[in-house]
Amino acid sequence: MQPMIIILKEGTDSSQGKSQILSNISACQAVAEAIRTTLGPRGMDKLIVDNRGKPTISNDGATILKLLEIVHPAARTLVDIAKSQDAEVGDGTTSVVLLTAEILKNTKTFIEDGMHSTIIIRAIRKATALTIKKIKEIAVNIKSNDAEEHRALLEKCACTTLSSKLIARQRDFFAKMVVDAVLMLDELLPLNMIGIKKVTGGSLEDSRLIAGVAFKKTFSYAGFEMQRKKYLKPIIALLNIELELKAERDNAEIRLDNVDEYQKIVDAEWSILYNKLEKLYKAGVKVVLSKLPIGDVATQYFADREMFCAGRVQEDDLKRTQKACGGTIITTVENLHEQSQHVFGTCDILEEVQIGSERYNFFTGCPKAQTATMILRGGAEQFIDEVERSLHDAIMIVRRAVKNDSIVAGGGAIEMALSRTLRDYSRTIPGKEQLIIAAYAKAFEVIPRQLCENAGFDATNILNKLRQKHFENHIWFGVDIIHEDVHDNFTAAVWEPAVVKINAITAASEAACLILSVDETIKVPKSSAEPSNAAKAMNMT
Amino acid sequence: MIFVYLTYRNIRQTIVLAEQQTDRQMIYLDSSVNCKYIFTSDFIFTKQTIEMALRVPKAPGFASMMKEGSKYTHGLEEAVYRNIGACKELCETTTSSFGPNGLNKMVINHIEKLFVTNDAASILREIDVVHPAAKILMLASDMQEKEIGDGTNYVILFGSKLLENAESLLRMGLSPSEITDGFNLALKKTLELLPTFEIKVNLTKENLRDNEPIVSKVLQTAIGSKLFGYHEFLGDLVTKACLTVTGSDSTSSFNVDNIRICKILGGGLFQSTMVPGMVLKREVESEITKVNQARIAVFSCPIDIQVTETKGTVLLKSADELLAFAKDEETSIETQIKALADAGINVIVSGGKVGEMALHFLNKYKIMAVRLQSKFDLRRVAKTIDAVVLPKLRAPTHGEIGACDSIFVDEIGDTHVIVFKHAKSRIATLILRGSTDQILDDCERAVDDAVNNFKALTRDTILLPGGGATEIELASKLSEYARTCPGIEQYAIQRYAETFEYIPKILAENSGVKSTEILAKLYVGHHDNPNLGFLIGQAKSETTQSNDITYETGDVKLSELYDLYITKKWAVLFATKAACTVLSVDEIICAKPAGGPKQKENKGWDNDD
Repeated sequence: MQPMIIILKEGTDSSQGKSQILSNISACQAVAEAIRTTLGPRGMDKLIVDNRGKPTISNDGATILKLLEIVHPAARTLVDIAKSQDAEVGDGTTSVVLLTAEILKNTKTFIEDGMHSTIIIRAIRKATALTIKKIKEIAVNIKSNDAEEHRALLEKCACTTLSSKLIARQRDFFAKMVVDAVLMLDELLPLNMIGIKKVTGGSLEDSRLIAGVAFKKTFSYAGFEMQRKKYLKPIIALLNIELELKAERDNAEIRLDNVDEYQKIVDAEWSILYNKLEKLYKAGVKVVLSKLPIGDVATQYFADREMFCAGRVQEDDLKRTQKACGGTIITTVENLHEQSQHVFGTCDILEEVQIGSERYNFFTGCPKAQTATMILRGGAEQFIDEVERSLHDAIMIVRRAVKNDSIVAGGGAIEMALSRTLRDYSRTIPGKEQLIIAAYAKAFEVIPRQLCENAGFDATNILNKLRQKHFENHIWFGVDIIHEDVHDNFTAAVWEPAVVKINAITAASEAACLILSVDETIKVPKSSAEPSNAAKAMNMT
Repeated sequence: MIFVYLTYRNIRQTIVLAEQQTDRQMIYLDSSVNCKYIFTSDFIFTKQTIEMALRVPKAPGFASMMKEGSKYTHGLEEAVYRNIGACKELCETTTSSFGPNGLNKMVINHIEKLFVTNDAASILREIDVVHPAAKILMLASDMQEKEIGDGTNYVILFGSKLLENAESLLRMGLSPSEITDGFNLALKKTLELLPTFEIKVNLTKENLRDNEPIVSKVLQTAIGSKLFGYHEFLGDLVTKACLTVTGSDSTSSFNVDNIRICKILGGGLFQSTMVPGMVLKREVESEITKVNQARIAVFSCPIDIQVTETKGTVLLKSADELLAFAKDEETSIETQIKALADAGINVIVSGGKVGEMALHFLNKYKIMAVRLQSKFDLRRVAKTIDAVVLPKLRAPTHGEIGACDSIFVDEIGDTHVIVFKHAKSRIATLILRGSTDQILDDCERAVDDAVNNFKALTRDTILLPGGGATEIELASKLSEYARTCPGIEQYAIQRYAETFEYIPKILAENSGVKSTEILAKLYVGHHDNPNLGFLIGQAKSETTQSNDITYETGDVKLSELYDLYITKKWAVLFATKAACTVLSVDEIICAKPAGGPKQKENKGWDNDD
């Protein structure tokens, strides 16, 4: 009798074979099930309480999956693709997960029937290539010659994204805001140059976009209230200097041998500070912003001279101010004059405004204005957080649309068109691939189907209508959420950038292939477990 | 007669497994004479071993001589068969990941990191093999990884199949030594035969650059076994990268480290690109984000006011000194930066912090500042731009200044990267895109293998037919050879020849094709064409309306499926040696594991990366 041989560490878990692929697929479906209902304009939100008791309300696929802290190795792949979609295009995270799960679900039967998974993988890759080609073929280029028209197009893209979010009802309002904000940026469209500030209270419509910078009033010392609250065309200095009495250097030491000298030293310390202040004043600066604290002596000094100051400004706010108003962040007040042209910034109006219970400094009418700030208002904190996430998605979509100007119709229209193309193609090829490509084609239908289900429509009915329309080559017909019917979504301006779909389909297929290609999972116990023991391994006990 | 007996006893090595938690290295002790040596795969005949062998009856109650808790087994049944069994078991895991149609494994290692791969070396490294015999096989594959960097699965597969065949010989009644003798003879013959199968394509170390398509084909074979379907795209990309860094004199050594990989999540694999130069996942410190025709100074020190190492106090005597202090500091750093600007520098790369004061002046003089965390990255950047790393903040001389075509910040996905693009660079970076971390990691391993293959190519350019063609040819040639051998070794040689069949057989099995049919076809075909192999074909265009995946036997030379001679040579060598080692063990002694805390493993702390 041969005893069993253990070659791996004790506690190592290993499962393999067909059942392994099937169980991985089931795990992925379970994950998709969790976020299925969040898709589309009638999607529901999820409330998630994390391990520290912090509640989050969201219908953003990536956010939900991140918070779920999934440990199943195969299901983790889905979290990864949602993240990747978030990174690449910012929106469509739910669709990508749903699509992956659906592809897997449809191929499951083939695995059960004993088809080799490499054949399936090959067919999926081929189908993906065809799909991408088709999208590129039918995508419509929106032209950016007419600025007015271009704007309208971008707004429609933003609208489509926002319609599936919490703020769907205010989507026109926010779409305009998002497009305005994005168009203000320079050609690189840096995301961090759009600041989003959240102030609880008020209603959503009280939110506003500042063409420039706004930040919360910083901590201030006595004398601040004496300063003026509104300046016209001020010269702005951005500092990285502490305007306070302090030691010049940590390890400096002063040794004195007479009393007169002592007073001089005290005076000198004061004069160092006053020198700095005076230099700023002499240079004609009206507004002083600093990353580091501005002490009460300095605050008082500025107040006396009709100047405005704010210390401990957040670094990204300061950087945005720099982008908007020009100038540079300076670390020394020496040599202010020789290069004064570049050192200081300016703007039309600086004013302090009360928003809710907070006071904000607004810098508007900036000459460079390559930055924008959104001030969001709303009831609960979780609510504003979700609004921020939604706007982030919309901003990303608009950025993509600006960079690549080809679009497709949303609302399940593009999916139906792709599904039909693939189905037609599959009928022309012999062999097993035909079945797999047909299954892949069917997977696309999950998007319109889920849209209907979430809206409470009869999915089968709507899908039948859609298939019929698409058969007649009305490629842009999709689900009409408002009238419980089908509709040409291209004319209805339900638009999405083509790149979003391309990325979603690529990512979904790659992930599906990855999961299908795994036939064995080996789990090594955590290293804290018993140290390895060769005798046990050879089963000699 | 007595001689035969002696040789049999000679290989009775007693193993003491010093696998206490501290060191994983195996020390083989000849316990009875206390002659200690680190075991090599060949036999060592020492006077002592023969003396030992003469002591025919073993000391009574062997176990009683050992510390309590140690284990001891010996003999064919107890030790040899079980060792072979363990190796077979190990091979089970990796068999299904062999070849282009091999499946992936999901491995979760001891720190809960997830790997999805079909790279045998990675799988074995992560699953923590503890069985000593299985470990010998694993070490052989490890050696292959170090020597060539590819063909690790080949070693495991060949080694364990060799053992499997040896097992049946043992059951027939051959002694392990006869088998190992036969295997060694067969190995010798194999190594003689291998170079004669060469496919001549006029590839030499000197003309690699002119033969880009052939090089690309070779690398595609390597990538094809990991990421089939992407192999053509990636193969071309890697070839381009490798040839970029090789420079005009291909004779100079090729360093694998010169091909950098930058993995960025998002997009699809087909969006991967190659950049001559470096790509770093960082942002620049300064306000300037794009410089063309850069002149670069590289410093390993922080760009800041110099601080004394010795603890010191600045002693001030009067108020004037106090007033002047800050000003002097500022002027001092300004002069330093100004000196750099005067030398024509418009980019500085630093290995340390860039102080705020320094940054201020850098912005003033319109110099871009890049900070690198890793000293290895610093070294690579210096190599890319051909600059000298300066340990102290000073203006570099003409020869120490690096040049770069353009340096800029780019956004890929949502990751900001700094790109050092330099056409004449000796370093090339592959930017890999993919939708999950696992795909990216797997892709990185495939690229690594391909780059290693290129390195092997720079050492030796003999190409062999791939797709199992070489193996079938070897199998038939070796069995002919076996028939000419007079001794009992001929059985072993015969088995050795048969083992080669497994390679095309497993290739076929993993593709879901009847392996026996393929084998028969291959044997028949090899009478006329030694380059006949198992082909996994793909039709050229997407629009062909036929089933575009074919599994057939065909001439691998026509379809340009090449393997490297050097890879195959080492793989066969390592596998045979490992198999012989496992066979030559007939006794296993496990010492009682020592208590005490696990020693911290501090491996790789000074590795690159």
